[in-house]
Amino acid sequence: MWFVRFLTSSIGKKLVMASSGLLLFLFLCTHAAGNATIFMSSKVFQSYADELHSHPLIVLVFSLSLLAIFLVHIGVGLYLFNENRAVSTSRYAVSTRVVKNSLASQTMPYTGLFILLFLVVHIFGFTFSPKTVPISVTVKELLGNFFYALFYILAFAALFLHLSHGFWSMLQTFGVNHPRYNEFIARLTLVFPLFFFAIFAGIAFYFMTGLGANY
Amino acid sequence: MDMSSINLTLKIWRQANSDALGGLETYNLDGIHTDMSFLEMLDVLNEKLTKEGKDPVAFDHDCREGICGMCGAVVNGVAHGPEKETTLCQLHMRHFKSGDTLVIEPFRSRAFPVRKDLLVDRSALDRIIQAGGYVSVNTGGAPDANGLPIASQQAELAMDAAACIGCGACVASCPNGAAMLFTSAKISQLALLPQGQVERKQRALAMVAQMDVEGFGNCTNARECEAVCPKGISIRNIARLNREYLKAVLSEG
Repeated sequence: MWFVRFLTSSIGKKLVMASSGLLLFLFLCTHAAGNATIFMSSKVFQSYADELHSHPLIVLVFSLSLLAIFLVHIGVGLYLFNENRAVSTSRYAVSTRVVKNSLASQTMPYTGLFILLFLVVHIFGFTFSPKTVPISVTVKELLGNFFYALFYILAFAALFLHLSHGFWSMLQTFGVNHPRYNEFIARLTLVFPLFFFAIFAGIAFYFMTGLGANY
Repeated sequence: MDMSSINLTLKIWRQANSDALGGLETYNLDGIHTDMSFLEMLDVLNEKLTKEGKDPVAFDHDCREGICGMCGAVVNGVAHGPEKETTLCQLHMRHFKSGDTLVIEPFRSRAFPVRKDLLVDRSALDRIIQAGGYVSVNTGGAPDANGLPIASQQAELAMDAAACIGCGACVASCPNGAAMLFTSAKISQLALLPQGQVERKQRALAMVAQMDVEGFGNCTNARECEAVCPKGISIRNIARLNREYLKAVLSEG
């Protein structure tokens, strides 16, 4: 069947990674937009969260879809990591990378796994936090802890590195590569990860330093 | 003419056959003229080894002018050595200094079994071509040269892809041993021209399937292939291959 052939081919698996990556990128955009309200005040953030959770069906459908997308991205990613490791270990006595700034592409599986660890901590900290405590209070409490916030900032640094290869790589896999746009794409591959880092790590920093404690 | 010479320490991968365990052996080679090519340097070593009654180093080579795709080895971790867009035969010893240690290893991939020393079996690339890297013209005389208009831009892009000599440096340098740059060049040169349209989708599916069967790795967009390609093949061709494959898998048949 064509679908099975597609999913088991090397390019098919790459396209699954790129497609799920794109959906996760779009999720990050909405999550960043929602969370950024906390910079206005905890009250605004709380009303955003209350509004969101007043539509339980939407939250349920989106959560389950997001879970599925994550599982696909992580599952296929780990499968590819394992496949590639089988062919790449100790091939040469001397191996030299010719491409400069290849740190991000070399560390994709590791930054990915670190983000997965963060996800587990994040979901247990916030998604499954006691319903009796308002979420804005939970944010202040958890991110007010220096080490908790530091872990968050490190995770967002890993996300930055992951996306600084992932965003370009996704477009390349979709077949988007044209001399007219490559310069622009290269800039976006820096701007988007920086944007997410600024918002997400910014929030962690905001509460870690106590700046946001009284707003 | 200044014929300066250099002294080198060579660490070369020696392996008796596909089943034997190989290892690096060290040779000291003095008085190498800097105007020699890398292969001529190996010739000098082999003459010396032969005179000493030892087994010369086996390596592939043919035209020695950078167009046949037969030669190639990994020099200090870089396929075809340190010069950009240069095959091993066109790499000259003037790019090295006296006292340098050169580690010379065969092009490695799961799909490239080592036959002897630096000589690897690259027939997996031939089988990818056989799977669909052709156009079927079963009848008729030679068509009129101007009968089939081709835009200059298309012809140029097709020629850029057709510059691939199939040496396998892309595979050797890829962290995953993938043959995507090679396959994408072979698919692009036909997909860009009108003659290649009839079998376009079938070709993309068959060549990618063969590439996977041969045991090449997956592309992770590490870009090492285009960095070492002696013919400067761009990964824009890989993007084209991804498009070709997606279109074909969604609509062929």
